[in-house]
Amino acid sequence: MEFFKRLDRDAVHAHESALLDYATRQLAGIPGLQIVGTAPEKAGLVSFTVAGVHPHDLGTVLDEHGVAVRTGHHCAMPVMDYFKIPATARASFSLYNTFEEIDRLAAGIEEARKLFG
Amino acid sequence: MELNELYRDVILDHNRHPRNFGPLDPADASVEGFNPMCGDRLTLRLRISDDSISDIRFEGQGCAISTASASLMTEAVKGKSRAEAMQLFERVHRLLTDDAAVSEELGKLAALSGVREYPARVKCASLCWHTLSSALQASGSHIAPVSTE
Repeated sequence: MEFFKRLDRDAVHAHESALLDYATRQLAGIPGLQIVGTAPEKAGLVSFTVAGVHPHDLGTVLDEHGVAVRTGHHCAMPVMDYFKIPATARASFSLYNTFEEIDRLAAGIEEARKLFG
Repeated sequence: MELNELYRDVILDHNRHPRNFGPLDPADASVEGFNPMCGDRLTLRLRISDDSISDIRFEGQGCAISTASASLMTEAVKGKSRAEAMQLFERVHRLLTDDAAVSEELGKLAALSGVREYPARVKCASLCWHTLSSALQASGSHIAPVSTE
């Protein structure tokens, strides 16, 4: 808590928002990638599916790139049913994340598309 | 550990083009397998004649590992007796969990051995096999769904 109290919360929010904007732009350009959840004031995370690549396989490939995402139904099965998808991959961004890591995420997704395509 | 040890060509091929995929009607046994942690779900249907698996097909959705494992399994056990199929189940189970297990004589199923380096993915590969085991050991017509949890 002492650590968090020392942080400039506006600066943290600005950084997370910038990461979210950058990730949204980078991922939206990947063919077959569908972002799930696009509320205007959402927190710094992107949940998505990639056509032809199951989220668990995607998670394993990204793991090999040093990128940790959560995959699965996120304990939100009714929402998965609503969107008619079995699972998603979800990347979240915080004050310690960098733009370079988002580039690595995008590169890992491209590699998974090649592997399973 | 390299990714291509997990996702070998055989696995990728059977994921892209699953064999024996689709309904089987009529069937002598129909069992559902479900992994609630990840959402993988499959239905396995068998025809049994003279104590042998004369036909077997599967449907469902899951990751590449679970789809490929089910596809490879249906190819491997078709024409086998119940006892032979159960022996294969035991051997594959050892292959997935025991570093000392040997993959000789397992043919294409040996491609599944890369999974044991990824403990989180072992259940993906074993779901269809547990479902098969349940189908073969059941005596009545009603067979309870198989869950990996």
